[in-house]
Amino acid sequence: MTNGIPLLVIEGLSKRFDATQALDGVCFELHSGEVHTLVGENGAGKSTLIKILGGVYERDAGDIRIDGRLVHFRGPREAQEAGIVVIPQEMQLVPAATVAENVTLGAWPQKRALGLLPVIDRGAMRRRAAEVLAQLDFHHDLDARVDALSFAERQLVVIARALSHEARVLVLDEPTASLEHREAERLFAVIAALKRRGVGIIYVSHRLDEVVALSDRCTVLRDGCVVEECRKGQFGTDHLIRLMTGRDLEELHRPHKTEFGPAHLDTESVDTGSGAGGFVVRRGEVMGLTGLLGSGTSAVLRRIFGAGSEPATVSLRGETRTFRRPADAIAAGVGLVPEERRLGLVMSFSVRDNIALPSLVRLSGLLRLDTAQIDRLVEQLMESLDIRPRNPLLPVSQLSGGNQQKVIFARWLASHVDTLLLDEPTHGIDVGAKARIHHLMREFVENAGAILFASSDMLEVMNMSDAVVAMRSGESVARMARGDAGYNEGALRAALAG
Amino acid sequence: MKMVQGRDSPYALLLRNQVPLIALVAVCVFTAVLSDRFLSPVNLNNILLQACVMSVIAMGMTFVIVSGGFDLSVGSTVALSGTVATWVMLETHWAVGVAAGIAAGALVGYVNGLIVARLRVNPFIATLGTMVVVRGIVLLITDGRPIVGDEGLPDTFIELGRGRLFGVHLLVWLPLLLFAVFGWLLHMTAYGKRVFATGGNRDAAFLAGIDVDRITASAYTWCGTLAGVAGVMLAARLQSGQPTAGEFYELTAIAAVVLGGASLRGGEGQLYKSIIGVFIMVVLANGLNLLNVHSYWQRVAVGLVIIAAAAADQFNARRT
Repeated sequence: MTNGIPLLVIEGLSKRFDATQALDGVCFELHSGEVHTLVGENGAGKSTLIKILGGVYERDAGDIRIDGRLVHFRGPREAQEAGIVVIPQEMQLVPAATVAENVTLGAWPQKRALGLLPVIDRGAMRRRAAEVLAQLDFHHDLDARVDALSFAERQLVVIARALSHEARVLVLDEPTASLEHREAERLFAVIAALKRRGVGIIYVSHRLDEVVALSDRCTVLRDGCVVEECRKGQFGTDHLIRLMTGRDLEELHRPHKTEFGPAHLDTESVDTGSGAGGFVVRRGEVMGLTGLLGSGTSAVLRRIFGAGSEPATVSLRGETRTFRRPADAIAAGVGLVPEERRLGLVMSFSVRDNIALPSLVRLSGLLRLDTAQIDRLVEQLMESLDIRPRNPLLPVSQLSGGNQQKVIFARWLASHVDTLLLDEPTHGIDVGAKARIHHLMREFVENAGAILFASSDMLEVMNMSDAVVAMRSGESVARMARGDAGYNEGALRAALAG
Repeated sequence: MKMVQGRDSPYALLLRNQVPLIALVAVCVFTAVLSDRFLSPVNLNNILLQACVMSVIAMGMTFVIVSGGFDLSVGSTVALSGTVATWVMLETHWAVGVAAGIAAGALVGYVNGLIVARLRVNPFIATLGTMVVVRGIVLLITDGRPIVGDEGLPDTFIELGRGRLFGVHLLVWLPLLLFAVFGWLLHMTAYGKRVFATGGNRDAAFLAGIDVDRITASAYTWCGTLAGVAGVMLAARLQSGQPTAGEFYELTAIAAVVLGGASLRGGEGQLYKSIIGVFIMVVLANGLNLLNVHSYWQRVAVGLVIIAAAAADQFNARRT
């Protein structure tokens, strides 16, 4: 906050998509060297705001000023030229090119070979890249191919590229969603370095503790409007949740449960081949699987579901079953909610068809689909899971992330499974929907089902599970049960770090 | 998100859903105004007959495109089934020939399905390959000459190509029947929903317990089978098995299906709209003929229509 004129000023910004008012008169301000966080539930308008800033969408109304000058972007290129760089969750790099090439992508220094032919000046390019990477305190082999880098390293390459293009406003969209604890710490150090250089940072995250720690200012969006702008030191996570949802959050902790049924899903006593872990989930139990990035929890769930490269053999309700493909697992009463919703839903299908998809044969009459029965079933499930908007014929792509997740749950409830495999079931969904999903999980095991659920959010795992298995590189390294003396986050982190 | 009143009136929605039909009517009106021969009974009958064979191919193509695939081999398959049918019926019985022709088409479709689903070859390349292979086989069978028989093809078969029922050609009744059967299969059964799901999102369909490989293979098999039926129909109409039959039919069929609003990315399409697409293509060609446009120019026009249809498909995808 070096001078009086803010770096970026947004006033009265509005945007509407068909029937949805995504942004409604939003005001936002960013000073040089400031971290201004942006929070809100899914559908509150954060992505729309970012996309307008990045030149992806055009605004309907409102002013955007940089250094007091009115700007109007007609494409991402113009936004970048004005110094605004958006770093999305899915990073855009050229995988087969080197670190140096990616950092300087699109602005490669040129020279003339033999004083005639324009060629890329590789020496200058490497110097430029090394200089920028040094500012981030990120020292890496400049000639390594980007596809050999970890997710966190690639993220730093993207940030370095933004710097090499002289970004003045950096927009980070959920930058820590896929980072390990240590990698996130490193990112925060980079953010601090960027602040010192006078870069203005817009930081979007669902992780509210992070938001509280990082923000100089925080703007809370709800239904396309700004609800409040908070200043550093004047707000906590509870306050943010209340602002985002408009209500108090229900208690997540569930009572300590000791009575379980017999072994339900057992991958210990049978040979599952490598990587399917070794654990017993009892009836009525939620078993949590957790690990750092790349620990193989997703692979374990996919394998048990018959979606891995090898068939899986498990003991289910005391019977040995082999699942060669997901259809086998579903027939045996197992359902999977995959990590990414685009892997779970046919986006061009309606909510109704997505719910009915695995149960189509059961819902078929003699000659055709029994649409009356399907409609009844879907209506019931939408009601009991509170899927909004309550329109079964709406394409599922138009639902918010949380509601899409509920649709996948509804699908498995419709097919009467008693075993659920959940992979990051609350990843990227808002706080209210998260509580709703947790509630559903509890209800499911109460009705004599069993859940195996993977999450990298350790607090969530501890809160939701009756027992937790910690995994590292596809192997389970620790198992702890609720009620054990060492059942706490510290012990779990220690086990995962090895 | 705040929901406000939708600004799309039901009429606008209906209009957008019926673009293919509106385009067809427009082409018809345009041609009728420019040429007084367009509405003559002889010409209308011609259009109907030309649309018949192509409709049957387009139905199969709709299955493949909805399932997320693509089939370039249907034109060659038409020639194969026509020549196999006529060749076999000259040796045996007309019905055996018809069955053999259709079976040959089904076999090509099944092989396409295996190559795409099991070997995971890109559909474009896979069916480009079978297109050339099958055409080669046809030329080998026929030695490049039409199959007509020393004393002509069996009378019953000739009658299939000429006969009428209630004043309408048998060749028109058949597509109507097939339309009813395949429309039911694609739009009203669990199988049909699975075809849409596989094309709409293969990964999600797989995780929902759908055997996506089998669905893919089945779509190609239907496509080949229907191309086989079309080949037999064409042979009946031409009263011979022509080794060069069906050239460029694949392009017309794909263009028709895309004009009918099916998405080349899969998961979208309607059988009746594909038929409307066929009529757009046939009426367009017919109109250009009536207006004495040189056949070379007609190719240019058909090519442009294909590009325009694909571009419109892409435009729609970006809008949503």
